[in-house]
Amino acid sequence: MSDSDEVRLVVPARPEFLRLARVTAAGLAGRLGFSYDEIEDLRLAIDELCFGLTGPTGRHGTVELAYHIQPGVLEVVGEGRFLEDIIPIGLTDLSRVILSALVDEHDLTSGPEGPRFRLVKRRHSDAAASGD
Amino acid sequence: MATDRESLKESFAEYARTRDVALRDELVSAHMGLAAYLARRFANRGQPLEDLTQVAALGLLKAVERFDPTLNIEFSTYATTTIVGELKRYLRDKGWAVRAPRRMQELYLNLSRVVDPLGQELGRSPTIAELAAEVQASEEEVLEALEAGQAYRFASLDAPRSEGESDSVGETLGQEDAELARAEQRAILAPMLEQLPPRQRQIVHMRFFEGLTQSEIARRLGVSQMQVSRLLTRSVAQMRAVGRPPVEDV
Repeated sequence: MSDSDEVRLVVPARPEFLRLARVTAAGLAGRLGFSYDEIEDLRLAIDELCFGLTGPTGRHGTVELAYHIQPGVLEVVGEGRFLEDIIPIGLTDLSRVILSALVDEHDLTSGPEGPRFRLVKRRHSDAAASGD
Repeated sequence: MATDRESLKESFAEYARTRDVALRDELVSAHMGLAAYLARRFANRGQPLEDLTQVAALGLLKAVERFDPTLNIEFSTYATTTIVGELKRYLRDKGWAVRAPRRMQELYLNLSRVVDPLGQELGRSPTIAELAAEVQASEEEVLEALEAGQAYRFASLDAPRSEGESDSVGETLGQEDAELARAEQRAILAPMLEQLPPRQRQIVHMRFFEGLTQSEIARRLGVSQMQVSRLLTRSVAQMRAVGRPPVEDV
């Protein structure tokens, strides 16, 4: 994506901080005129991917999130910066099914610098964008 | 161990020199009353007193280990600051995950009453701006309240299934749709889906396999969208728990 505004957020890689990732995504999606339905989907998707990064109890380190905003489109990239070695991370069958239904594009990979996810959610509702 | 002020000072000085674990434990024991007292001060905030006492004891231990007897300060003053800090941090972390401010809970309930009628009126899912106008709150407040509702949902995952929910949902969703079995992906997820009650299984199928939106599911089943949202979130967490590999970290 290009010519997009960017918001960055760094949070400890623990479940109690991931609400900030959801709130930020919901806030930006609200500005882009996403519907309540779409925002609920986005919230679940962020949760699923963050869960994929941090596991159920969290990890030592941070999750760095970059939100890229274009008219009608929100892309979120999350990168795990962990102080521990972890097994290669990938999407489970459950996550794949869930995310396919919730967002337009999604991915979770293990890179040399750590695990990384990406999702794209486009506005499909008829409501006019309110803030972009 | 002597407990008067001078003896106490000597004990801390000795511990600072020797780092003797037995002496440290004695100093901790001698001040457990303070830890217990401070833990009680933080009771009635949703966390068991036992847990608070343990947290306070941990704070006390840290205070004993870090206290510098050469400074002109009473240990009880130093320890109180450390223990209270530990308790506040604990409550903040815990509370964030499971408790939402009352104002946000009320706004969430208010939103749950307007989402469906507004959606029907508009013929589509409302935007955050439209919801905010309807409940006379700011968009930020609406987003915060929806997140607060999310926190409530996670908190309720471990609660008994009957936590005040309408039985009519279960009655509505009680029938198994024979077509559900045909989904190829469902075979992969069968072990996880089987763990869900029929109503949740059906909602999961409608959302993730049939691609219906939450509001479409709500309309089809005659329940509120927020009920669908809550059950979906709960279902995903339950399926994750079933599908989680036995070893997460290495």
